[in-house]
Amino acid sequence: MARQQGWFALILALAIAAGALLMSFPLQLGLDLRGGSQLTLQVMPAGAIKRVDQEQLEAVKEVLERRINGLGVAESTLQTVGTDQLVLQLPGEQDPSRAARVLGSTALLEFRAQRAGTEQEMQGLLQLKRQAEAVLGLARARQAALGNGETPPEVAEASFPAEQLAAALRQLGVEVPDGASEADQLELLLDTVNTRIVELYEPAAFTGKELVTAGRQQQQSGSGWEVTLSFTQTGGEQFARLTKEIAGSGRLLGIVLDGRSISEASVGPEFQAAGITGGSASITGNFSAEEARDLEVQLRGGSLPLPVRVVEVRTVGPSLGADNIRTSLVAALSGLALVAVFMVLVYRLAGVVAVVALSLYALFNLALYALIPVTLTLPGIAGFILSLGMAVDANVLIFERIKDELRSGNTLIRSIDTGFNLAFSSILDGQLTTLISCVALFALGTGFVKGFAVTLGIGVLLSLFSALTCTRTLLRLLMSYPALRQPTYFLPRVQLPAASS
Amino acid sequence: MSLPSRLLGVQVNRRRRTLWALSSAALVLSLLGIAISWLTPSIRAPLRPGLDFTGGTQIQLARSCGSGCSALTAAAVEDRLTSIPLPAEEGAAAPPNLRGAAVQLLDGGQQVVLRLPSLSAEQGQAVVEGLAPVIGPTDPAGLSVETIGPTLGSRLLRASLISLAVSFVGISAYITIRYDRLFALLALLCLGHDVLITCGVFSWLGLLGGVEVNSLFAVALLTIAGYSVNDTVVIFDRIREKRVQLTELALSEQADAAVAATLTRSLYTSFTTLLPLLALILFGGSTLFWFAVALSVGVVVGAWSSVAIAPTLLPVLARS
Repeated sequence: MARQQGWFALILALAIAAGALLMSFPLQLGLDLRGGSQLTLQVMPAGAIKRVDQEQLEAVKEVLERRINGLGVAESTLQTVGTDQLVLQLPGEQDPSRAARVLGSTALLEFRAQRAGTEQEMQGLLQLKRQAEAVLGLARARQAALGNGETPPEVAEASFPAEQLAAALRQLGVEVPDGASEADQLELLLDTVNTRIVELYEPAAFTGKELVTAGRQQQQSGSGWEVTLSFTQTGGEQFARLTKEIAGSGRLLGIVLDGRSISEASVGPEFQAAGITGGSASITGNFSAEEARDLEVQLRGGSLPLPVRVVEVRTVGPSLGADNIRTSLVAALSGLALVAVFMVLVYRLAGVVAVVALSLYALFNLALYALIPVTLTLPGIAGFILSLGMAVDANVLIFERIKDELRSGNTLIRSIDTGFNLAFSSILDGQLTTLISCVALFALGTGFVKGFAVTLGIGVLLSLFSALTCTRTLLRLLMSYPALRQPTYFLPRVQLPAASS
Repeated sequence: MSLPSRLLGVQVNRRRRTLWALSSAALVLSLLGIAISWLTPSIRAPLRPGLDFTGGTQIQLARSCGSGCSALTAAAVEDRLTSIPLPAEEGAAAPPNLRGAAVQLLDGGQQVVLRLPSLSAEQGQAVVEGLAPVIGPTDPAGLSVETIGPTLGSRLLRASLISLAVSFVGISAYITIRYDRLFALLALLCLGHDVLITCGVFSWLGLLGGVEVNSLFAVALLTIAGYSVNDTVVIFDRIREKRVQLTELALSEQADAAVAATLTRSLYTSFTTLLPLLALILFGGSTLFWFAVALSVGVVVGAWSSVAIAPTLLPVLARS
């Protein structure tokens, strides 16, 4: 009896803990339940790499993570799947095309030398670029200050008068859409200029594949920042050759990302002999700390080792998600209710105990989802509802055995004990075979198949605990009250052997 | 004997020819459905494959005009689709042709579901915007877009088949260890029987009702495999027990005794598993509807095979 009470206390404590857990850690809902976008990205083999392996996948993931941070979607997650896929989840995001654009493009980083004889044209373009950047920078600073409720910094009036801007745009042959604001026009100009600059370069000498990493540091002389680059050995050699070629010539070294020039560096005459050697370099451009960081991120982001392709996009609106939650909740509750009615009708007092154990089972199940944590998706909920049905199985097996024992004339307490013992081996076999399927599904399945396997697997393991511990403890505890020790609470009188009725 | 066993008067081995004939008929019908489905030019697969396997884009739109919605026909939407200019995808050939897209109206015309060739995110956006003149205002919160690349579909199919095969192997290894090879073989036969008949039902549903199978169906099949063995193993456990208790009887009689002893349990657990599935069918929404139907078929067939097939094949196979 003391043992029963000990178990009962444990179950009670677990139930309270589970309840508290659910209160403080809400269940994580998948995108199909809360709305948002999910993109599956396939990493493609390229160049010398014929098969994508785990290491390359991680490298791509790292780069993409930095780009995602730039998207500004809260709680976005990026996970690797298998050996060559990544799954990006953007909760609440209704327009996956933006993410697809940022992530799906290869973002090719190239180092290029300026073509000889283009100095004058380059000068003009660079001047436009600096001017546009300066005005845009000021405008953004002003906007940020206004947004923070601060007084905008006093600025000397735009150093890019409207007529001059219009003329520059015309000269570049840019069509300005009607009603474009000044900032729009400036950005358009900057875009065009950056593309034009690229046309003044020779074909790529080498690409970001040879870039190992990028960093930033404060300049030793002067107050600005510089961006440091380090290359692979091949990259270092290529960089030396490239810088040797243009050193002192007044031609520039272009750093090009996705066909847009992001930086133009000059190489001093002191490198005429051998170029910049040693496999590392710095780009000095009197950058502010902010600019240096942006460039660093872009450079590192640009060194995406392999191209990626978006192979799957799923977008679910929030109201559709709420619909899914409601319908599956209704399904789960009515499923539980139907089972409860059936169990009480067929097994009487034991059925009541089973329903309590089953409710505890559902509670523990949900608490485990919060604890592990399991992200609940629609198939996951289906797994949960199905496991509710299957959890009953263990109880049915036990109760049928108890009935058998009662029919053959055993006493109630003995029947209960024997019932549990005899049912154990078939319960174990049945649950373990289901568990084997779950493991296979989890190990080999993709995305939401995994979600289903996890919830069903947890369900199967828990149902062992709930049937063998909760049901047994509660039943034994009830049997300590003599008033409840009636075989007819378990079986219709007609089925009892004549001797005991 | 409890109620169901008394009603049925179980002596499955005495009636095994009838039971086998029923199962064989179901199997032949299933294979027939699968074969016809394979030969049908528009399907060319054992089951009608859905978006998950063929690749493509599915867009679901919720109209937000309420009861004031103008009447909408699928033909009007199809008509409009062909005239939407799609932005070209970078590095790809011409944008896909939207002729032959499937348009479905749900919820009394309040929901529009489009099945299209695989589109990029921008192209999907263009379709949604391009349909506005026909469909009217839509609720962005009720939008769902799914795009699945064709390579993903075949990977998914392969992954499902591999995990099915692996769980076959795992389960038979387990049963061989706990029982013996004969029982493992029987469990796998029953499992194949259950999976094949479920597939057969869905191939007929695909042929006659246009029902498509998606990756949830693959999940359902895997679950049925687990459940089927679960159900069969309980009978095995009891047969093993009866072989020790009733040594003087023939194997077929021992098996009958085991079936008689577990029949109530088999029916009740199948029933209690069916109850939540029934709830899913009734209230679970369209996404889970066919999933729950597939599981229900599997549960019913699984109960049948564990009662009618495994214990009747056992004496025959044990003799040979």
